[in-house]
Amino acid sequence: MRYALPTLSDETRAKHAAKGWPLALLGSALLLVSGLLSWSYDDRILGDISIRFWPVGVQIMAMVLGALGVAFALMDRGPLRRVGNWLDVALGLRALSTGVLVFVALVLAAIATEAGGLVNVNEGGWIALVGALLMFVGSRFVPQRELGQMHSARIPGWAEILVIALSMAAVLFLAAYLLNQDDAWLFVLGLAFIIALSMGLARSGFFTWFGHVAQRHKHVLTLAAFAVAFLFPFTQNGSDANMSIATQVLIFAATAIGLNIVVGLAGLLDLGYIAFLGSGAYIGAMMSNSAFATIGWKPPFLVTMLIGAIVASIFGLIIGSPTLRVSGDYLAIVTLAFGEIFRLAMFNLDGNNGPKLTNGPNGIPGIPDLQIGSFNFGDTHNVFGIPLGRFSNYYFILLLLIGFIILVFTRLNNSRIGRGWVAIREDERAAEAMGVNVFGLKLLAFAGGAFLAGLAGTIKAHQDSAVSPDQYLFLESAFLLAAVVLGGMGTIAGVLIGATILKLMPEKLRFFSEYRLLLFGLLLVLMMRFRPEGLVASRRRQLEFHDEDESLAEEVEDWHLEDVR
Amino acid sequence: MTQRSVVTLGTSVLVASLALSACGTRGGDSGSDSGSGSGDAKKVAKIGVIAPLSGDLSALGKGIEHSVELAVKQANESGDLNGWTLEVAAKDDEAKPDVGKNAATALAGDKDVIGVVGTLNSSVAQSVQPVLNSAKIAQVSPANTNPSLTMGADFANAPKRTYDNYFRTCTTDSVQGPFAARYLFQKAGIKKVATIHDKKTYGQGLATSFSEEFKKLGGQVVEAQTINPDDDKYDAVISKIKPKAPEAVYYGGEYPQAGPLSQQMKAAGLNVPLMGGDGIFSGEFIKLAGATSKGDLATSVGAPTEELESAKKFVTDYEAAKFPEPYEAYGAYSYDAAKAIIEAAKVSLKDATSAESAREATVKAMADVSFDGVTGKVAFDQYGDTTSKVLTVYKVEGEKWAPVNTEEFK
Amino acid sequence: MDTFAQQLVNGLTLGSLYALIAVGYTVVYGIVQLINFAHGEVFMIGAFGALSTYLLLFQGQTSLWILPVMIIGAVIASVATAVIMERVAYRPLRGAPRLAPLITAIGISVFLQEFVRLFYDKIPGTNFPSAKQRIPFPRIEGVTGTAFEAGGVVVQKSALFTIGCLIMCAALLWYFINRTKLGHAMQAVSQDPDTARLMGINVDRIIVVAFALGAALAAIAGVAQGLQNANINFKIGFTAGLKAFTAAVLGGIGNIQGAVVGGLVLGVVEALATQYVPGQFGGSAWKDVWAFALLIIVLVFRPQGLLGAKVVDRA
Repeated sequence: MRYALPTLSDETRAKHAAKGWPLALLGSALLLVSGLLSWSYDDRILGDISIRFWPVGVQIMAMVLGALGVAFALMDRGPLRRVGNWLDVALGLRALSTGVLVFVALVLAAIATEAGGLVNVNEGGWIALVGALLMFVGSRFVPQRELGQMHSARIPGWAEILVIALSMAAVLFLAAYLLNQDDAWLFVLGLAFIIALSMGLARSGFFTWFGHVAQRHKHVLTLAAFAVAFLFPFTQNGSDANMSIATQVLIFAATAIGLNIVVGLAGLLDLGYIAFLGSGAYIGAMMSNSAFATIGWKPPFLVTMLIGAIVASIFGLIIGSPTLRVSGDYLAIVTLAFGEIFRLAMFNLDGNNGPKLTNGPNGIPGIPDLQIGSFNFGDTHNVFGIPLGRFSNYYFILLLLIGFIILVFTRLNNSRIGRGWVAIREDERAAEAMGVNVFGLKLLAFAGGAFLAGLAGTIKAHQDSAVSPDQYLFLESAFLLAAVVLGGMGTIAGVLIGATILKLMPEKLRFFSEYRLLLFGLLLVLMMRFRPEGLVASRRRQLEFHDEDESLAEEVEDWHLEDVR
Repeated sequence: MTQRSVVTLGTSVLVASLALSACGTRGGDSGSDSGSGSGDAKKVAKIGVIAPLSGDLSALGKGIEHSVELAVKQANESGDLNGWTLEVAAKDDEAKPDVGKNAATALAGDKDVIGVVGTLNSSVAQSVQPVLNSAKIAQVSPANTNPSLTMGADFANAPKRTYDNYFRTCTTDSVQGPFAARYLFQKAGIKKVATIHDKKTYGQGLATSFSEEFKKLGGQVVEAQTINPDDDKYDAVISKIKPKAPEAVYYGGEYPQAGPLSQQMKAAGLNVPLMGGDGIFSGEFIKLAGATSKGDLATSVGAPTEELESAKKFVTDYEAAKFPEPYEAYGAYSYDAAKAIIEAAKVSLKDATSAESAREATVKAMADVSFDGVTGKVAFDQYGDTTSKVLTVYKVEGEKWAPVNTEEFK
Repeated sequence: MDTFAQQLVNGLTLGSLYALIAVGYTVVYGIVQLINFAHGEVFMIGAFGALSTYLLLFQGQTSLWILPVMIIGAVIASVATAVIMERVAYRPLRGAPRLAPLITAIGISVFLQEFVRLFYDKIPGTNFPSAKQRIPFPRIEGVTGTAFEAGGVVVQKSALFTIGCLIMCAALLWYFINRTKLGHAMQAVSQDPDTARLMGINVDRIIVVAFALGAALAAIAGVAQGLQNANINFKIGFTAGLKAFTAAVLGGIGNIQGAVVGGLVLGVVEALATQYVPGQFGGSAWKDVWAFALLIIVLVFRPQGLLGAKVVDRA
């Protein structure tokens, strides 16, 4: 599957090594400087990039990329040489320069299309392009160096924590910046920037090192991540538009993590998972104070939440029970059929065809905002002078929920139960022979996953203020599955990334909304073909899909050793 | 391998952008007013549109968008907006409540928005209403027919207005259904009917109000059935109805199902007319139902276009504006909806400093709006419903809908 | 009694359609143990292929002789789709974990639906209508139009056509599997692919044949569906595919006779449920629920299906 790369032979590289390094350094420096110049003649596009010595938006991005290039170059030869003993700067520089080239080309394309032609590009843009080209060519000739063992690369503990804090702050800043871009081009360019940056950092081995650091300071990392997520609404200046999307991402992610227990850990493919979210949402709606609610009993919300989750897990048990007899593809189709039955039942139970529970296709609208104690989720609250609107309130409660779900997931994953699931996934018969209670664990996976989705559903009902059957189509289940597959089965970070990508992209890139599903289908096919383990793969998973890869196997072994230590 | 494809991508983007340079022009008047965005510039207010601009119903949604654009363009040209300029801010709802709510939130956050035309679907309206209500933005729907949107959940017994910012220019199901019942019973002399609906808000509402009126008049409803709109084969339902020998079938729903239903009914030997509401009043219905649809009936709000001066003007103006998509079923209502907001805004914006501060006054002014629109007289009652109750019955004749009876519903 | 006979006829018509599609699932599953979830889309593309042939060559005509040409058009479209699908998406995944091909299949299914929806009216050199809404299917003399009525039972001409197609296809299929060399090779591969390969059978080729065979039958089903409903749309593949899969499992997946029997049983059950399930849970609103419930019940209590699966559950 690996095609021959058009890379240079080692001899040519060695011959020109002396020229490559200065070229790469010069290119990076040019890129760094270009940010200070005027990029466009037209001052109305991409947030006014026509003023000199006033870098904004894409110019700052270019400067950051340039600075990273300079840093890489200086790590190779120069004052930062010691860092170069650990990071593979040559590979990093090559990957970075490729990303930079794409980024700069996209910026020029943006200027050309927005302002009408490349004539509008001013000197800054051209210098950036020259810099990118120089970097690209130069970095090809920088030879790789002998590297030390990554997990023995240490810096003082406080510094490692500082690195984590800084990275998290950068993530928060980037997320807030990207979300506030209404201009589709700026959004795309921001993405290109992030990709270029991560490519450089990933290839240089920075992320591997970061992974080791994160491993050593697990709790710090988790806390930092939550702090960042918690701070996010404060960056929005009381605007609800992004918070509305953010809450949807959280609900989607919460459900996807539940699905990840079933698919990622226990290896049971569920194609009707959205039904569990739906049953939670319907319970939440039917017991709410909506004028259309069909159940007279209005318990406090926490009780409703519990009931919703329990009903969902009962459905989970029902749908899980055939697993005693069927497995694999059959099970997938059973769950698909179950998902359809759920949707049709919600569609039918309107008093004409069955008891009046769901109002049929019209659903239950007008669900009032949540009220816990004297705190109404519909009101805007001022915290430190920053107004936090309706969606921010839901965001916080969902954050709590997702924290709980992640906790459950990780505890389960690292317990006997989790290992039992993995054993079932790997080889059901062997697991059974080893005394694993296969049927019980499978049922637990279904019920547990459904329970979590049900919890999320009850909140979703209030957040959406309406439920209807057409929110629970098969396609939604496919989207959930895609989030799990895209991000990486069995990992939390992967699912969060997958959920964010799948929910955020269509909102921000409205112009291709018509082609959204087409690309979605294509994405599934291509992912399965080229990277079936997902963007953020759990090491074990990755090994399953690439069992011929020796070095990967060694790496996984290393990780496990470190875990033990 | 990944690296190579990235290189290819990079080069092709580069080549593509270079190719663009050949036909470029320097951007217009830049430099002259660089740096200054605020100042004495024109005062701008926006009219939002929330409609399905992509997906299955995009034809209808695009028609709504363009009709609003037409109304706004004409208002700007008329010059009696007290120095304000109007713009259209259209958002896609994909006919989904979730997406619609995001669109509404975005519009509510835009300080220039003063009113919103939309939505197409009652289900989307349900999730848009609370968002726009808390921002006090007037919402006028050209197409929502569910009575509960204006009169609350128990609209039949205890009508109670739920959102005072919500209005609509189309009539509700509680008018169209009975109107059809009276026509069939009194004018066409049909005493035995069967009803079918698609269980959606619109269809069920129509079928229910039709049956009630028909029974009240002394007619007989021999069978009531439902279909699932995702189905495309209805012989199970037809087989149930046929032995009861109705003289007509009333269908509550829209043309994508009504067309095939009519065709399959007649192919199965149930040769009676199918009647429906404005949801089947579309050329697509006749295309789908084929030649056997001759004699099928539909009701629609307002007098026929050929008989109203203002409607003819709308059609010619719309065609002159050369929009890429036709105005479709709800274009005229959307035009009137936008015009109602414009009329109210003329009152509220007069002394206002910003569009945001005029939002509440706009909602108040909506109650007094009254003008002759494309679909007839436009004014709103105490619930926000249109006061116009003129309806027309159309019949399929020679592959076209021909008006047979126009009357005011009392 | 009349209503019973009537619903029986309705059920058999519906069942014939399911049976034609179900054969595709079963043949492919029998050979590569893959649920080709996108098979429903192959059926949909068959219907569009027939429509395109009609619009390109015979617009406005209604005579019976153009029907075979339309069927050929449908078969070409479906078979091409299925073969390309196998080559591009499934073949590279052979030997990958079971999850991968199933997710690929979902991806293909969504992709094909959207492809038809977005681009059907944009095919250069043609003037096809937009597939974003239902498209009227041509009416052909002899197989559409007023139904026959005998003793209170209505039999549509298109229903006769569908049932006729099923009988003919079943006979040809039986002949192909049991009397031709290729058919024997297929049986061999389905029993033991490794040994078959050792015996000099080109397994790759047999797999392509299996895909093509299923696609051809699905294409005929597509034409039948178009004639019955008088309209088609890009979504018809999903439910039909799911039902046909149910039928295949019902009969015992991998078992060709089983698929035919399963399809007919499912159709009849659905039609009778519409008529005879009493009270609020009757009527057409619940018929799909009964069909899917039947699938779950069969899978739980008799996973090998009514006639027994040819393949042991290797999943």
